[in-house]
Amino acid sequence: MKEPVKLDLKARIVVGLVFVVLGFMLSVQFKTTERQKSIHFERVEDLSERLKSVEAEKEQLEDELDNLRKNGSGALVDSEMERLMLLAGTTEVRGKGVEIVLDDSSIPSRAGENPNLYIIHDEDLLRVLNELRAAGAEAIALNDQRIVAMSEVRCAGPTVSVNNVRSAPPYTIKAIGDPKNLNSALRLRGGVVETFEFWGIHVKINTSDDVHIPAFKGMRAFEYAQPVEKEEGKK
Amino acid sequence: MIYYILGGLLIGIILGIYCPFALPLEYAKLLSVAVLAGLDAVLGGIRAAMEGKYDTEVFISGFFVNGILSAILCYAGNMLGIDLYMVAVLIFGMRIFQNLAIIRRLYIGK
Repeated sequence: MKEPVKLDLKARIVVGLVFVVLGFMLSVQFKTTERQKSIHFERVEDLSERLKSVEAEKEQLEDELDNLRKNGSGALVDSEMERLMLLAGTTEVRGKGVEIVLDDSSIPSRAGENPNLYIIHDEDLLRVLNELRAAGAEAIALNDQRIVAMSEVRCAGPTVSVNNVRSAPPYTIKAIGDPKNLNSALRLRGGVVETFEFWGIHVKINTSDDVHIPAFKGMRAFEYAQPVEKEEGKK
Repeated sequence: MIYYILGGLLIGIILGIYCPFALPLEYAKLLSVAVLAGLDAVLGGIRAAMEGKYDTEVFISGFFVNGILSAILCYAGNMLGIDLYMVAVLIFGMRIFQNLAIIRRLYIGK
């Protein structure tokens, strides 16, 4: 190892200044890094604080909702609501009833005869539905489409459209009501079932203690009908 | 000599701690590269001194030019989406270790 180089005073001072700069940079860098860390901590604290406040707000709102539910729906309102929902067909229902399966005729149509007579049409279905309603059916579904006040039953080519949903034979009609009444209404002499049987259309009627009828699935927006205020309506 | 060095370092650190000026975070990387360049220059200077080739002008110019140049390069790299920061850290780190190794050997005298 050689002897260290001797420097004059000026060079020493300059070297000292260089180290001042180096020290300055080191400590500023250190401070910046520390600040970065503390910012991370602050962020965590800040976020957890916000989480807490949001959770508290959520609990408060849930309480408010519970309160409103309790106050807003008395027993009277509830039962009225239930009645209206049943009437509108917006709830799934179950109960005693019948299940009718209709399928096209298997008798081959004779030459010169209208083959339309041997297949099921919307009119046939409507007759069944009408008969069921007359016999006091409380809820009816055709191929799992709930029949509500505005449901259509209409031929759409080879299929039948109900609530704008098309389905092909066999058609399953489910109805809730007094099974005996419904059954006998359909089997009246000269009634629907007899007519079907004449043309060879398969009809199967099962009475059941537990018929499930799905809710009306569509959404119906009232574009033209406006409710009339009672005062105006009286005249 | 050692007193000048340590004294300068101490003054610088104190100045830095009490300096109200704080570096924005996006420039922290640039400063870190500059610091690394400074350390490299210092170790290079020590090595040169031990080899008897020390020159104050070379040392000071190396210190400042390397530091500023590396910071500028990193800044440009940032703008161009190239991590020149990594390259600078790698190169200066390698040189620091090389210089340290040479200083160690010179000190031991082999």
